[in-house]
Amino acid sequence: MHESLKAALAAVQKPGRYTGGEPGCVYKDKSALSLRFAFCFPDTYEVGMSFLGMKILYEILNDRPDIWCERCFMPWVDMKSEMEKRGIPLYALESKDALRDFDVIGFTLQYELSYTNILAMLDLAGVPLRCGERAEDAPIVVAGGPCACNAEPLADFIDLFMLGEGEVQLPQVCDAIIEGRKKGLSRAEILRGCAQIEGVYVPSLYTVQYEDDGRVRSIDAHGGAPAVVRKAIIRDLNSQPLPRNFVVPMIGAVHDRAQIEVLRGCVRGCRFCQAGFLYRPMRERDADMLSRAGKTLCDNTGYDEISLTSLSTSDHSQLETLLDDMLEWTPAQHVSMTLPSLRVDNFSQSLVEKTTRVRKGGLTFAPEAGTQRLRDVINKNVTWEEIERTCNLAFSAGYTSVKLYFMMGLPTETMEDIEGIADTAQRVVDLYYQNPNHAKGKGVQVSISVACFVPKPHTPFQFVAQDDMQLLREKQQHLLRCVKSRKISVSYHDSRTSFLEGVFAKGDRRLGRVLLEAYRRGCFFDGWEEHFHFDTWMQTFADLGVDPAFYVNRPLALDETTPWEHMDYGVTKAYLVREYQKALAGKTTPPCNRVCAGCGANQLLGGGPCFDYSASAVHQNG
Amino acid sequence: MTTVRLRFTKTGEAAYISLLDLQRVMQRAFKRSGLPVWYTQGFNPHIYMTFAAPLALGQESVAESLDFKSEADDFDWSAGPALLAPCLPRGVEPLSMAPARTDPGEIAFARYELRAAGPAAVSALQAFKAYNEAPAALVTKQGKRGKVKELDLKQYAPVLDYKNRGDGALAVSLVLPAGGQLTVSPSLLVGWLCAHAPLQAHQVQILRTELLTGKMEKFR
Repeated sequence: MHESLKAALAAVQKPGRYTGGEPGCVYKDKSALSLRFAFCFPDTYEVGMSFLGMKILYEILNDRPDIWCERCFMPWVDMKSEMEKRGIPLYALESKDALRDFDVIGFTLQYELSYTNILAMLDLAGVPLRCGERAEDAPIVVAGGPCACNAEPLADFIDLFMLGEGEVQLPQVCDAIIEGRKKGLSRAEILRGCAQIEGVYVPSLYTVQYEDDGRVRSIDAHGGAPAVVRKAIIRDLNSQPLPRNFVVPMIGAVHDRAQIEVLRGCVRGCRFCQAGFLYRPMRERDADMLSRAGKTLCDNTGYDEISLTSLSTSDHSQLETLLDDMLEWTPAQHVSMTLPSLRVDNFSQSLVEKTTRVRKGGLTFAPEAGTQRLRDVINKNVTWEEIERTCNLAFSAGYTSVKLYFMMGLPTETMEDIEGIADTAQRVVDLYYQNPNHAKGKGVQVSISVACFVPKPHTPFQFVAQDDMQLLREKQQHLLRCVKSRKISVSYHDSRTSFLEGVFAKGDRRLGRVLLEAYRRGCFFDGWEEHFHFDTWMQTFADLGVDPAFYVNRPLALDETTPWEHMDYGVTKAYLVREYQKALAGKTTPPCNRVCAGCGANQLLGGGPCFDYSASAVHQNG
Repeated sequence: MTTVRLRFTKTGEAAYISLLDLQRVMQRAFKRSGLPVWYTQGFNPHIYMTFAAPLALGQESVAESLDFKSEADDFDWSAGPALLAPCLPRGVEPLSMAPARTDPGEIAFARYELRAAGPAAVSALQAFKAYNEAPAALVTKQGKRGKVKELDLKQYAPVLDYKNRGDGALAVSLVLPAGGQLTVSPSLLVGWLCAHAPLQAHQVQILRTELLTGKMEKFR
């Protein structure tokens, strides 16, 4: 280890974030490589090491003998300043080599407020921030992940975006770069070549023109790039193996457990949920494959906890079989199972029993809205009766704490809907005490967490204006006044954070200047309350003459050209419009494995139906 | 039920693994190794382990020790290190595994090697000389309940017998209290040295080489 790095490590908290060396790390002989890839997560080590996508792609790239994929995270503020002070460039954890010597630097875009961290990391790496300033032999900077669905605010800084699923696409991009470098092609030529790969978006090959009032007039492709970029997709999830091993963090990550992805996508069609629209159609893996992969992963990592992850795990058509399969080996291996993303409408008695066999934690539900009317608007097809039934099951099984997630600022929301949030929580408290089988001598704790709604691209609510910050604050205060019981605790999000999220979620390329200037004025780690400088952001917008409210507090016309008009996730715009109009009429859409709603995403799988509608794929209650 | 003792190293990057994190690392490593270890029988079964004389963050060691329990009476523990080694992070290397002979409560001292290499060796020489010439080496030690007390390092290490190593490094071996009654961290000494010469703490490598009982016998 380098002397100056040792000095920096001696001066910072949690030096284990910056040393690497964890079990499961991959090391390679540098002389035998065609491409070195730095997989960058623009947030702290603990957050990044929780991310399943990195583990999947780390293994896929490192399975290739000619590619070495290493990890890099955003150093916390203390380490960042130590590195700047001592002239230590940003390095990858495995080799400790500087990022500027890599062939490709890849960022995953999980959250809009981590965009400035991308600039900070490039800066620390000594890589010019703007694409146009990079030398021919500088690393190619790529990015993927959910926020790539409207990558426009980052268009100035990222050479190439990848839309959709990376398992097949990312190695293809790497091959094109290897090939291009071998042939001695220029950067621009390599990027033009990559633009032919499914789901690859090279922003420099597109010209955006604007109307006088600031709206997008047109987006034109040139250099042979496709007019519309369609996301990459794995058609059959069973053909895609799960990771056999993880790099196992030594300092506790946020999610520090084995994870198996049981299904991808979601059938529910909640109208606010971007993930629900980006990952369509829903595809699942066979129970047998999942159980075996889970065992291999636990054997190789030593984890004693395994999570069955997905957007909606209880929608897996073979969930009971899967749990039975897993219960055959987990107790003997001292492994406990956790099931996130359960839905109240198909949470059954046997599911409770199977998950509580090893450990009993809290229970989390997401009704999202406080009244049935508003739940219908957002298509969260959950009824009070279902919440009641599920809570009764859980309380009888010994659960004593319930977490309820809600949103405020949803389209058509009134103060009555806000009161409904407090009312729902109170009724859950009452249910507990009315249940004769509740845990003896114990009280109940109901926590409600209320996020501010952020309209997101590619959802039916992309057309909606976000509530302004003042109104969101009033709604928060009203909710606090409505909660009467000490059994209920309330937490809510900072509306200023949600505002900025909305701006960058729905923004266009003209925000690149703002990002750069805000970063230069000291904005990074914006997602961390203690480092969020809202006033600096607003001042930067004002100084550059950019109105942030234009992007988020203004409704989009249904026929307006959006900044993400040239990004195709399979769902048609006509469908988004239809769903939006149904929302305003308070009409719901059933889960798409029950009735096809015609969103268009079946075209991604070849055009046939996404599900076998002759079989009942959705669980029935009880 | 046998108490089995693992001796292991903690060097290089692994010096930055805290005790809490090391417990987690060892739980997983033992689980993966398939060694016949005993799990607690509670609702949340885990491997019962005891670490002797935990090391401070950033210090290295070739004399770490952890005890675990086993019901496998006829297991050949000498095969243990080879089974455990592939499950451990870089820098943590199993040295030996055998039924414990000494009670961890008997640990009273530890031997350390302080080492400075390259340009820092010159400053280190100056610092060692200053120490040896000083009538007393007073440092303050933060006690368990936040109590600050002053102690004279010369009580424990009257003279630093430094030696030149072949590679231009300067090293000194010393024994300091490291037991339940009293622990004097070598970082206190490094702190004193840095205050008396143009030397920085990170330039002095601290390596624990041995754990010793009150009778100055090897802890095994």
